[in-house]
Amino acid sequence: MPTEVIMPKVDMDMATGTLAVWHVAEGEAVKKGAALFDIETDKAAMEVEAPASGILRQILAQPGQVVAVGSPVAYLYAEGEAVVALPAETPSAAPAVVAVAAPAAAPAAPAATPSQTVAQVANGAADLRATPVARRLAREAGLALSNLLGSGPRGRIQRADVETALARREAAALAASAPVFAPAVQAAPDEWTAQPGDLHVTTRKGTGTPLVLIHGFAADSTGWMALERALPRDLPLIRIDLPSHGRSPLRRLSGFADLAKTVVQVFDRVAEGPVHLLGHSLGGAVALAVSDIRPRQVKTLSLLSPAGLGPEIDGAALNGIARASTADSLAPWLKRLTARPDGISHDYAKAAMLARIDPDLRAAQQEWAQVLFPDGVQAFDLTAALERVTAPTLMIWGRDDRILPWKQALAAPGEVALHLLRGVGHVPHMEDPDTVAALLGRHMK
Amino acid sequence: MNAQTQITEVTPSGETREMSYAEAIRDAMAIALDRDPTVVLMGEDIGTYGGAFQVTLDLIDRYGPDRVMDTPISELGGAGVAVGAALTGLKPIFEFQFSDFAALAMEQIVNQAAKLRYMLGGEAAVPVVFRMPAGSGTGAAAQHSQSFEAWFGHVPGLKVVQPSTPEDAKGLLLAALADPDPVIVFEHKLLYKMKGQVPTGYYTTPIGKAAIRRTGSDVTIVASAIMVHRALEAAAKLAEEGIEVEVIDLRSVRPIDRDTIIASVKKTGKLLCVYEGVRTLGVGAEISALIAESEAFDYLDAPIQRLGGAEAPIPYNPDLERAAVPQKADIETVARRLAKGEV
Repeated sequence: MPTEVIMPKVDMDMATGTLAVWHVAEGEAVKKGAALFDIETDKAAMEVEAPASGILRQILAQPGQVVAVGSPVAYLYAEGEAVVALPAETPSAAPAVVAVAAPAAAPAAPAATPSQTVAQVANGAADLRATPVARRLAREAGLALSNLLGSGPRGRIQRADVETALARREAAALAASAPVFAPAVQAAPDEWTAQPGDLHVTTRKGTGTPLVLIHGFAADSTGWMALERALPRDLPLIRIDLPSHGRSPLRRLSGFADLAKTVVQVFDRVAEGPVHLLGHSLGGAVALAVSDIRPRQVKTLSLLSPAGLGPEIDGAALNGIARASTADSLAPWLKRLTARPDGISHDYAKAAMLARIDPDLRAAQQEWAQVLFPDGVQAFDLTAALERVTAPTLMIWGRDDRILPWKQALAAPGEVALHLLRGVGHVPHMEDPDTVAALLGRHMK
Repeated sequence: MNAQTQITEVTPSGETREMSYAEAIRDAMAIALDRDPTVVLMGEDIGTYGGAFQVTLDLIDRYGPDRVMDTPISELGGAGVAVGAALTGLKPIFEFQFSDFAALAMEQIVNQAAKLRYMLGGEAAVPVVFRMPAGSGTGAAAQHSQSFEAWFGHVPGLKVVQPSTPEDAKGLLLAALADPDPVIVFEHKLLYKMKGQVPTGYYTTPIGKAAIRRTGSDVTIVASAIMVHRALEAAAKLAEEGIEVEVIDLRSVRPIDRDTIIASVKKTGKLLCVYEGVRTLGVGAEISALIAESEAFDYLDAPIQRLGGAEAPIPYNPDLERAAVPQKADIETVARRLAKGEV
């Protein structure tokens, strides 16, 4: 019985993946755990390991092809094992290539080969907007545009977006060859140096009042991707990477007020006129503080599982995430973020670890965790600020949040709209982006 | 058949001299009159009066009325005489007082001058040059301010040039005269007083070759005549913001220098066409189309943008007149948005 090789789910909001390259040729032998092929996600290029030892046969997905998560991409046979014919009729036999374009155009034309379908998929999403040069560069690099978010007007993918994705893929490939995933890795150093420079801000152009996004602790702006997809395409976005997070410089922190002050400075720079403001977790606390300090600049406030409304917090998970230096040590803590433990796969943890590859960044975040959440307690209290906020405020919390208990939402005054989502944990914008987007849409109207 | 002519060479000295755009044109005409006895100047009031914009000035005193001829107030008649003279061996430079008045002479320019070489199987040539003061900005209103480059550029058999500097004004006029076929030279009225270094002696600036006036990597602006200068001013301002604009001076509308434009757009990925003629169906449409059809298409990182004249006659009111054609601030705004990926 051959072993099926499938497209893994490495990203919480991942429905498809792009096969980037095979490391093993058809007919070659491969050992279990060896690199078998690379896939690309929005966040990183990932190496996928062989699930078993054997000979690689029946490659179903070619480089550049977009394949649905869980679909087979090839089979591994034992030495000398007879090759079985692929059951042509079962839909799982051929990779479930996602034909985004013109769904009615070619319903399962029997002669459609994978490469034909690829051409359809590659850059053909009906509402995908990309400049000619972005399309060409993606085509040349075997990158699927459907996996990218555009920074241009109405989400148009531009040259810079493709180049960023390619640079990320390259960096990830480099990092993947570094011993990060090996069992023994050096722990984050105690010493790290604060860096100069402004906080990293990215924007998506659009029409109307922009939505400013502030991510949570140990996350970064790429975490908004699933929600961004669910939001209207022409909604302008301004994403702020907190200091010591994402692509912002590393900064020492004396306390929450220090953090709030830093973000207000950036907010003043990027927000021209009143904006919609959204924050998650620690970013929710920051958004709340910004609304308190700049009441006239905030049109509406939306808080996803915000910090600062009670003492309890899962300090062990925060410290664990900040400290983890391998995907293996990161994965168990990440699983606490979602309501469903299968929301986080090992491959997802690998991708998340890639984003935290810089030991100085991890050291800085560990220090932050001590400053903001000493002894596993939220050392700052924003309930008074919540009382004072004048902007219409929306709060969304998962009922299965294991990091911040949803009961802290009850600290809110009566004017605040509260939505408690069932079957959702600490990251509602990733676990149920459609509902969150719908609630935000109504709130911002 | 054209008579053989005797040409006295005036060798280029390698020196330059500062002169205005108008002086450079006059210098070109004087050199042409000196070196080639078949060259004659024709036009309304170009003799004693010195020309509507004082470009011919004193040439009648220097070369006499046989070579600097005032023609009656009939553009069709004058242009007809010039075309006939060219057919029979002379090399006339015919000046229109305003390019707008060329509308009165379309038959001679479009149906005769441009066609005869083809219709007579190459047995005839019409080496005439039409000088046309063009453009707005002088408060001369709707019938004296137009930009007709695209009109004439649409006619096979004609060549159309638009010098933007004193050096090119001289070099392109001498190149037009050296060309065996009819050439239209659009001179921008606002440039007549512009000063610049001009090589002394005889030289030509090749027709059909654009000039890169400023190199840059972020946005390509293709402009002509006065718009080149506005684009350069905008580019200097944008450079302070870290935006590097490449400014191409088109110089020649027909033939158009595809290679230079394509190479630049392949480099920058962003194109802004700036021209004074009415935006719709103008020179910018041709440039946009040639890029969209070329290998540069796959390098575009933003929609092509055009800044052209308003869809209206040029107004008399000075504020409205300014608003009717692209200004430095307009160019700056669009180029900035292009560079920032906001278009």
